[in-house]
Amino acid sequence: MRNYGYSEEGDQSSIGDWHLWQKVLRFTAAYKFTLALAILISLVITAGTLTLPYLVQVAIDTCIVAPDVASQVRFSGLTKISILYGILIIGVFFSHFFQVQLLEWIGQSVMHNVRQRLFSHLLHLDLAFFNTNATGRLVTRLTNDIQNMNEMFTSVIITLFNDLLRIVGILVLLFWMNSSLALLMSIFIPLALIITVLFARLAREKFRAIRSQLAKINSFLAEMLSGMAILQLFGQQQRAETNFFDLSREYLNRTLAQIKLFGIFMPLSELMSSTAIAFILWYGGNEILRDRLTLGELVAFISYMRLFFQPLRELSQKYSVVQSAMASAERIFQLLEIKSTIVEPPSPVILPKKTSAGLTFTNIRFSYNHDDIVLDDVSLTLCPGQTVALVGTTGSGKTTLVNLLLRFYEPQQGKIEIDGIDIRNIALQNLRSIVGVILQDVLILQDTLLANIVMETDVGRDKVERILMQTGMDRFVNKLPAGLDTQIGEGGVELSTGEKQLLAFARVLCRDPAILVLDEATAAIDTESENILEQAIGDSFRNRTSLVIAHRLSTIRRADHIVVMSRGKIVEQGSHDELLARDGYYASLIAMDHQQAIDTGDSRPYPATR
Amino acid sequence: MKNRPSIKIPFTQPHRITFSEIKALLFPTFRKHRRRLVIGFTALIVVDFFQLTIPRIIKHGVDGLATGTVSSAGLLRLGVFILFIAACVVGLRFLWRYLIIGFSRMLERAVRNRIFSHITGMDAPFFEQRTTGELMAHQSNDLAAVQMACGMGMVAAVDALVMSITAIGFMIAINPLLTFFALLPMPALALATRILSGKLHGRFATVQQQFSELTEFSRSTLISIGLIKAYTMENFQTSVFGTLGRKYVKSNLRVARIQGLISPLATLVGSIGMLAVLYFGGRLVVQEVISIGEFVAFISYLYMLIWPMMAIGWVANLVQRGLTSLSRINNLITSRPTLPDPELPEGIEPFSRPGFAMKNLHFSYSLATAPALSGVTLTLSPGIHGVTGRTGSGKSTLCKILTRLYPVENNTLFFGGSDVNGLPLEFMRSHIAYVSQEPILFSDTIAGNLAFGRPEASRKEIERAAESAAVHKDIMQLPHGYETVIGERGVKLSGGQKQRLALARALLCDRPVLILDDGLSAVDVATEHKIFQNLKRHFSGKTVIIVSNRIKLLSMTDRIIILAEGKIETEGDHEKLLDTNTLYQSMYVKQMKGEELRGGDDA
Repeated sequence: MRNYGYSEEGDQSSIGDWHLWQKVLRFTAAYKFTLALAILISLVITAGTLTLPYLVQVAIDTCIVAPDVASQVRFSGLTKISILYGILIIGVFFSHFFQVQLLEWIGQSVMHNVRQRLFSHLLHLDLAFFNTNATGRLVTRLTNDIQNMNEMFTSVIITLFNDLLRIVGILVLLFWMNSSLALLMSIFIPLALIITVLFARLAREKFRAIRSQLAKINSFLAEMLSGMAILQLFGQQQRAETNFFDLSREYLNRTLAQIKLFGIFMPLSELMSSTAIAFILWYGGNEILRDRLTLGELVAFISYMRLFFQPLRELSQKYSVVQSAMASAERIFQLLEIKSTIVEPPSPVILPKKTSAGLTFTNIRFSYNHDDIVLDDVSLTLCPGQTVALVGTTGSGKTTLVNLLLRFYEPQQGKIEIDGIDIRNIALQNLRSIVGVILQDVLILQDTLLANIVMETDVGRDKVERILMQTGMDRFVNKLPAGLDTQIGEGGVELSTGEKQLLAFARVLCRDPAILVLDEATAAIDTESENILEQAIGDSFRNRTSLVIAHRLSTIRRADHIVVMSRGKIVEQGSHDELLARDGYYASLIAMDHQQAIDTGDSRPYPATR
Repeated sequence: MKNRPSIKIPFTQPHRITFSEIKALLFPTFRKHRRRLVIGFTALIVVDFFQLTIPRIIKHGVDGLATGTVSSAGLLRLGVFILFIAACVVGLRFLWRYLIIGFSRMLERAVRNRIFSHITGMDAPFFEQRTTGELMAHQSNDLAAVQMACGMGMVAAVDALVMSITAIGFMIAINPLLTFFALLPMPALALATRILSGKLHGRFATVQQQFSELTEFSRSTLISIGLIKAYTMENFQTSVFGTLGRKYVKSNLRVARIQGLISPLATLVGSIGMLAVLYFGGRLVVQEVISIGEFVAFISYLYMLIWPMMAIGWVANLVQRGLTSLSRINNLITSRPTLPDPELPEGIEPFSRPGFAMKNLHFSYSLATAPALSGVTLTLSPGIHGVTGRTGSGKSTLCKILTRLYPVENNTLFFGGSDVNGLPLEFMRSHIAYVSQEPILFSDTIAGNLAFGRPEASRKEIERAAESAAVHKDIMQLPHGYETVIGERGVKLSGGQKQRLALARALLCDRPVLILDDGLSAVDVATEHKIFQNLKRHFSGKTVIIVSNRIKLLSMTDRIIILAEGKIETEGDHEKLLDTNTLYQSMYVKQMKGEELRGGDDA
């Protein structure tokens, strides 16, 4: 099936958007000489292709149908013309091949640059952006949209240029040979254009309908596959079958509608071509009778018309591709123009890795959407080496505080300082290497456990083993079939929630950050992992400034200081015993049933908005 | 990071499909639509003949003009004749396209439906051996390949065959020797297209593979953007992405090297034939062996041959791909479930209060080395049974065995007193309501999801079930209450809400056995307690099996079974286990720590 370009709902971009073309062209600026060469080759190819029928015409008129000339002269003339013809076709072949390679190279290089730029651009955008833009769409920009643009570069723009050049060339030749016949042929151009545009539009509709139905079938199937056990246990196979059959019937109907459309439009160019030949034979024949046209010219006319309709036949397909490519380009450029709200400091303060790491939050006020206040005038100080536990129900603002510390978002008011330096004056990379985080969610690479711990750092195996030993985490590693060399992630060993958090712990400890942030898992953890975790937490918090979003009583009790939050405010703080003695919110939180206060069954992906 | 996450689509290597298998798979549909096919192909052949007539008309005209024997009126007649033929061609082309390509779509649908029906009848071991991606690929890529082979493939094959044979026939009629010279390069073209498009397919597959790698990498990066930023991996990820991108560019260029050859090559071969006609044919006209009109017609026939020659190579690849896909599909469709599903034995009526009995039951997953259950002997009679144990102790496996998702040996598992291998699956499962660990809900309204097992249930019954599962209030707070659409495109629910919905769905079925496979793990303790009381009322005298790691829940059951490494470690009630079992004791201590803070307050 031909590719009519990938498209998304709401494509409204037009081919005539000059502004967009400028932006696209800017990316090709680095390749302007190669591009000029490709255009030059286009001229050569067109000239070569159009000379071929002319040679045949000359051969017919001067050698083949020239009864007045001696046979010998006619034969040698024919030989000369044939040799010329042979040279020309070989020349056209090589230039054609060379041109395709050249264009593919340019197109791919440009697209690679766009893709890299977009990827890097996306990674440096702030999290607020990612909260409002679905990942699937962004991935589509990076892959399909860019692929689409490439399609336009390589296969379409230049072939269109080639075709245009060829059509113009043919028209010029035809006018030169016989202007009235040429004029007659020109009426096919607007006709072909109208049909093309109409067909392209209709075809796009049909293809969109087919694609969306196929997507429905696919998502239904995916859902059924994932729920197959439920489907069978509830004995609902029959019903699922009926639904699926309905979906596939609708798909059939939509494909049939597309076939009808193609059935009507595809033979039309053939019809035009035949009509043109009928005209040439009738009108051109009459011209010959009146001696205004030679027989050779008539044959050339027929050949040229064949060359003429060839590009027109593919025009509708190319039109669609260009249209969808322009829409893709527009989406890509829109994305590239979005600016991150988190700005890197122009002249950052460099914090040493072994900073003493006092941490203060001063009068922080923050909301994700400017309506619901998530943090309201929060002030908090962590002395170097102190462990502070944040306690509160879901939505009290604990996670947000961590998000602000990592500068995922900017507070609307107030400031955060490390060792007296406003974090806005610290380079993001520097900040995030000082603050080590252990989140509920863990990024797992499809690799060995060791590689997952080490990642981009240059920490050696010995050091990893030492750290694991010190924190008692070697117990978790030893349980795995191949220890540190166990393959984990997709296709490897599946880690439990507790084990994942242990991995995150190991990762952070290898980086030895001055400040440690832990978001404890809310989900139930198996008892074994929990035992190991408890020891690891205890060991690594000693001598480090640590901030813990605590869900487990054991962790809360271990903290030097407990900060109780509710609805974006700090309501109480102190040690466990102090707070219990006060018999306030904390006491009620604990009494309310420890489980219930923290186990809401809501494990949101980190970092989360509301 | 040496290994990048890569997408592997582990297609099972199928055996070569035999003709009788193809026949069994496709012929019924062919037979069903035979009239459509006969008319379609007739139209196709007639079109070919019509098209071949046009050069003959041109020949008449040109010859008449050369010898001065044609009048203006004669030329007009020839022109009108061409127009008439062209109009017929348009109509007939529409006809064959609609009939034959339409047929290929109908065939596609028939096979698609058949695949789906087959899949819904397969058992858990089958799904274990195949990834979702693989099964999805069968019904997208493989079906598309079959459809292409049976649609455009068949058309192109017949068209190319008829067209080339007739065109060559006409050419030979003009002059055999000239035909020979003109056609000399044509087989080369057919061969070249065949070789090139075969190569192209392989290289293109690489491109596709790398494209999915690129997609998967961007997806996995963007989905964990917070983590990437937290661990400052932006530049690292960008450089990995760049490496993938460059690899992708390289593969694309490899494709272009072949793709860029095919079209110029076709033009070249056509032109060489044309050169032969010009040189030899020209001489023949001079020698007055053929007329100038024949010379011109010859050129037209030659042009008409280029497409069939290219098509032959293309069709061969299309058919080959179609056959490969067809054997994959055939492999899928001919796979048989390992679970026996016998007819209902005479005299067996639905059980009213069935229980389970296991006698020395062993079970291993096909890919695992250690058995998941070994030597389990256990009776689960009406009453509430709690099951607990460490991760991997066999709790979930037990549930899956009881619900008949996996096969068991004869005489090891009994249901209502009968060996399960003698009972039909549907019959047995209709006794069991099941709630899984991972609540799976479908993209539908809440009401639709709850009534999944009993589509005819009234709203009242649905609400009652939701109330029993303590989820009615949650539902009423949703924007459209019971009509709220959930799932991928609908409202997102919390894990606890999903679990309670799954429970309500099971309760609505009103079956004599309930199996809760850790199905309340995300529900808070107070709600869990409330739900348990409802269950107790609902299922009095029925068999309830609750898998959980929560002491509070377990302590309320009649009897607790502790599993360890696939064996029953011990069983008893809460008090007994608290006295005797160390695992149970340690769980108790861990979970009840918070309790003391409340000053001995009872739950």
